[in-house]
Amino acid sequence: MTERSAAVTTRGLIKRYGSHTALHGIDLDIPRGRVFGMIGPNGAGKTTTMRLLLDIIRPSGGQLQVLGEDPRTGGSSLRRRVGYLPGELHLQARVRGRELFAHYAEISGTVRAGTVESLADRLGLDLSRPVRSLSKGNKQKVGLIQAFMHEPELLVLDEPTSGLDPLVQQEFHAMLREAKDKGQTVFLSSHVLSEVQQTADDIAILRSGRIVKLSTVGALRESAVRHVHVVVAEADFAAARSALIAVPGIGELAETGDDGATRALQTTINSHVDAFVKAIARFDLVDLTIEEPDLEETVLGFYGTDETATDGER
Amino acid sequence: MRRVLPLFRRSLADTWRGLVGWTAGILAALFLYLPLYPSIGGNGQMKDILESLPPELVQTLGYDEITSGPGYTQATFFGLIGFVLVTIAAVGWGTSAIANDEENGQLELTLAHGVTRGQLYAERTAAVLAKLLWLTLVGVAAVLVLNEPAELDIALDGLLATATAFFGLVSLSAVAAIAVGGMTGRRTWALGAGTGVAVYGYAVNALGNQNEDLAWLHDWSPYSWAYAEDPISEGWVGLIWLLFAVAAALLLIGWLVFRRRDVAV
Repeated sequence: MTERSAAVTTRGLIKRYGSHTALHGIDLDIPRGRVFGMIGPNGAGKTTTMRLLLDIIRPSGGQLQVLGEDPRTGGSSLRRRVGYLPGELHLQARVRGRELFAHYAEISGTVRAGTVESLADRLGLDLSRPVRSLSKGNKQKVGLIQAFMHEPELLVLDEPTSGLDPLVQQEFHAMLREAKDKGQTVFLSSHVLSEVQQTADDIAILRSGRIVKLSTVGALRESAVRHVHVVVAEADFAAARSALIAVPGIGELAETGDDGATRALQTTINSHVDAFVKAIARFDLVDLTIEEPDLEETVLGFYGTDETATDGER
Repeated sequence: MRRVLPLFRRSLADTWRGLVGWTAGILAALFLYLPLYPSIGGNGQMKDILESLPPELVQTLGYDEITSGPGYTQATFFGLIGFVLVTIAAVGWGTSAIANDEENGQLELTLAHGVTRGQLYAERTAAVLAKLLWLTLVGVAAVLVLNEPAELDIALDGLLATATAFFGLVSLSAVAAIAVGGMTGRRTWALGAGTGVAVYGYAVNALGNQNEDLAWLHDWSPYSWAYAEDPISEGWVGLIWLLFAVAAALLLIGWLVFRRRDVAV
């Protein structure tokens, strides 16, 4: 029964802090064995969602299941099956890394001998240094190791790469792939898309406590905005222009160059690449460029601006 | 390989340096004050000095019994220097147990592991109380060592009674800080509660000492519950049990709120 349940399921999950509503009813399904990324601007509710999964805070409404159990009643045995990296990691302990991991190992799931050492080796962390003297990036490694070391069924990672240099980020991405290969589920958050794009299968875009888009990374890429640049012969310009306006999903047409013989146009298209190419193919093309889809721009489109500023800041 | 009481052991391991410091402080205070008794308290001159001082001051400090060995030990150590020192330690540890850890963001990570809130609350409270018990025992041992050479003439029964009252009194401040930390997660509230209990108890007791009309105030001061009936001379008297009862009630309320509320918001 437990084996078949989703890693995380929420229905109408609501969280209020006094009069401020941080989550307005979230529906999430994270299947086992997937890497699920959640992105959104600051204050969108990413950390709130993750803290609810760990029973650090309690929902104001709706339902929540983690590995088939309610975090409120699942208690410590449920949390032993989860690895958590907080978004704001504070480690003031005077003790050395090795001792701190020994302590966390006592209060989490079983840690196989040598796991901490091999993770520390991979990430380049010195276990013999007092934890509080470590740099931000090295503290982040401590946070990652304590989340991974007991090979939990579910990893909940709040902005996992913050403070890590690019090489360590790559190693972390490899750790994510291995976790996925072993059947572990990963739920990670970020405010940068590129990170989620590189590692996640599924993606949820959160804004002001609401999920505004649930998609796979592949599908998001397909629907993403692409910048196109077309250069046609002067004679064809007017006809090409009217043909393009008829293409579904096309953006505003801007004329960007005119050298007497040719004229250049710039615009954006979404998923209708085929319609666009067929529409333009009738003309004498001097040049045609379709840029890589820009996911960042797509996501920023979901973020919006006006509503977020008033609602999200409170 | 899971051993018992991981959070209790972690708390002690994290704070043993402080405990060593406080132990040294207690010993220093006792070894400085008590050997002076034969030349100060036991000497008839002290009585003259005390009579020349304003009676309100003498009563506030609890120095009215200072001319006997037990009275001197009570007035200098258990009622004043020891009380102040160990209360500071108690409030500091009590504030760290939950509130400080929560404000600096570490509690969230600990609670995300395989521990329950009740377990964390209980183990950390136990660690604070164990350290306070240790300091109390250090005090008792030092008094026993000095009893003969300093001509204090303290009976063991009275010493244990006043030490128990002392432990109850400082524990009450610690528990106030722990419980308020558990309820609010705010360092300043926890610190204020622990300190407030101690200052309030001392002040109300001092007011109650001033004259007969105000003596009823003793009923409302934890400091008076501990010491008003003079346990170091009289043994197991007074309302020592009430200290532990109130501490237990505070702990219970703190736990009930702590297990329900949101952490680290």
